[in-house]
Amino acid sequence: MDLNRKLVKSDCEELLSRFQKTDSVRFEIFSNTWREMKFSHIFYGTKKREKRVFSRLVLDTASSFFLPPYSFQIRVGGLYLLYSLYQCQTTSPPEQIRLALKDWEDVKKFEKDALNAQHHDIVYILHRLLFLRAFHFTAMPTLLVFQKKRKVERSVQREAFIERTSRPQELINTEMLEELSNIHELYEKLKTSVCSTTNSSVNLSRKDLIPQLCSTVMNFYKLQQKDGSDDGEEDSGEGTSSQQDCSKRAERLAFIKSKAYGEAPEACKSRRHRQVEVDLTSNEAGPSNMSGSTRISKPSLKARTNENVHISGDMWKEASTTTMINCLTTLDSAPEKQKNLKRFKWR
Amino acid sequence: MAASGQSTDPNTNIPDYEYIDVNTKPFHIASFRNEWLSRLKPSDISYQQEDEDAFDANFAKEMGLGPEIMSQLKSVCSVDSLRCHPEDQQPDPEVVPPNSTLKTLVERKKRQDYKASLKITKNRHDLYADELERLTVGRKPSAVADMIPEGEIILTINVYYPATYEKFCYVRPHMTLLMTGSHTLAELRDGICCVSDLQVCGEFSNTPDIAPDFISKDHYKSSFFFFEGVFYNDMRFPECRDISITTVEWAKSRNFPPYSQAKMEETRFTDLKVKVGFPYLYCHQGDCEHLVIITDVRLVHKNDCMDKNLYPLLTHKHRIVTQKCAVCHLFIGRWFTTNDQFAPSDPCLFCDKCFRMLHYDAAGNKLGDFLAYPYVDRGAFN
Ligand SMILES: [Zn+2]
Ligand SMILES: [Zn+2]
Repeated sequence: MDLNRKLVKSDCEELLSRFQKTDSVRFEIFSNTWREMKFSHIFYGTKKREKRVFSRLVLDTASSFFLPPYSFQIRVGGLYLLYSLYQCQTTSPPEQIRLALKDWEDVKKFEKDALNAQHHDIVYILHRLLFLRAFHFTAMPTLLVFQKKRKVERSVQREAFIERTSRPQELINTEMLEELSNIHELYEKLKTSVCSTTNSSVNLSRKDLIPQLCSTVMNFYKLQQKDGSDDGEEDSGEGTSSQQDCSKRAERLAFIKSKAYGEAPEACKSRRHRQVEVDLTSNEAGPSNMSGSTRISKPSLKARTNENVHISGDMWKEASTTTMINCLTTLDSAPEKQKNLKRFKWR
Repeated sequence: MAASGQSTDPNTNIPDYEYIDVNTKPFHIASFRNEWLSRLKPSDISYQQEDEDAFDANFAKEMGLGPEIMSQLKSVCSVDSLRCHPEDQQPDPEVVPPNSTLKTLVERKKRQDYKASLKITKNRHDLYADELERLTVGRKPSAVADMIPEGEIILTINVYYPATYEKFCYVRPHMTLLMTGSHTLAELRDGICCVSDLQVCGEFSNTPDIAPDFISKDHYKSSFFFFEGVFYNDMRFPECRDISITTVEWAKSRNFPPYSQAKMEETRFTDLKVKVGFPYLYCHQGDCEHLVIITDVRLVHKNDCMDKNLYPLLTHKHRIVTQKCAVCHLFIGRWFTTNDQFAPSDPCLFCDKCFRMLHYDAAGNKLGDFLAYPYVDRGAFN
């Protein structure tokens, strides 16, 4: 049984990897790959009871590709795979796709991302599965029988399928750097107004903080790119990623888009690209397009600082615990920890 | 966005792993159900299937798609687009397609060829499993009142045979039952068949004809389930005793975390706070202990058996090799004897016919010295 599971997983990965190479999220492209591999045949040759057991196995295996930490494109492939397997299974009535409550938010977010990018086929397939009552709304992704494994055998995830870390790029974006430099300026001004003489003992802040921060994140990004250069994946490129990377990315996205069923007017196209870009980069990192709106809805840091800084020192301290400066100082440890947690959760 | 902070206050009604792929943290079943219902549209869980065209029209409207794009989308996403062979050349789905590149199929072919070389025909148990499945899928009740309502909880429960069974470590024989959230624990108890409920106690060599009247279930009705620190006792009958009290008091006297008690017949599954995948206990006949694992909790689906009265619904039962009569090697053992001069071994197992032929004369008089005990085979329910 365990061998069977491994083989099924490997067949699914082969299909998704071919799909990934097409750089597409179109169902048309997916079904092409499906036919090319004659994937429907995976159900053939099972008998009676075996059929149902195999349907269960193959649907459970495919489900994982529909969820984080896989990249948006792989998750699209995972959804298409589930739909196709569900439709082609030979047992009647069909086995359902199991969907756990804890994964529902991820599915809704995925749907929103697809909607925003006007990927009509993705949304259609998802809605169609709901219409077909293809889901079991469950507590957990699989049945649990307290099966402790003798050998600790973590099922390995394909590195190339997984969304790359993008927290630093997301955090250190232009908007944030601008605010930071404003605060820096404000702080220097205040300081000079307090101490008339230029005293070296109050020179506590780094003069070159902003350019340094910027170049560090750039370096991180470049290193990351070099790391994964063999698979040609460039999913993390938001924020301060270099101009060249950005344009390359936009090009590719435009390529994907050009094949979409987009009816939206040309005028907002670039806007939509931005949207897709956000979606693609932030799949693993948590709520995606929320980031843009929450950042905007909060009063700007500059405004908050202006309000607080001249009242009292304590207030400033208090305010600073919720500012991005605070986030910055904990950047090294905090997001890393969270990432580990996520990995852990997702096998 | 890093500071969205959702992880600081996790919703305990959303089940999550305690140990990955092993079991969950405890959660309240009714609250879990409500969490799902608050997220889903009624149509997502409705038994009623809407019309295809209505669905497409609705989707086009929602997305603002023109009829041309919509029909294109529909055809691109159709099931036809997944067909891997010409329409008029449907291959036999019972046969593994030759020359497939799929690893799963290569292996399946290998296994089938091997099996074919062994020439084993389907045994009785396989046939029975098919039978069980056919009975459970999509049954509708005759009376509307017996219909399971939409949004009800369905639980899958494994009840394991006592761990004394020698091969337990490898196969873990069990029965699998489906229950709904509004069923009580007492109803689960009545669905569990265990031979020790049928075991006849006593020596009957002088009066073999009256033996089957004594059945343990009638004598020892007390039993309990144990979930998350609570003993749920069966108190439906006046002769029932709270057999958990000994444990509860023992724990109390030793400063263990306190256990509490409740009544099996008054506890619905939706009232429980439990871990999925975690082994709990069912104890009856004083010392016959079974592990109980809730392996799945989910919302009811339109293909489920919808007749309330058919629950607990048996979906799996382990086939146990039956012990055959020492004389004819044909029938299942019904008696075992000791100190038996006619027997080839001590103790020895006989079917009813051989037992009587060997130990009694035509008038039913006992021949020779021996002790005889009625025996119920573990596999008698097969
Ligand atoms: Zn028992
Ligand atoms: Zn016999």
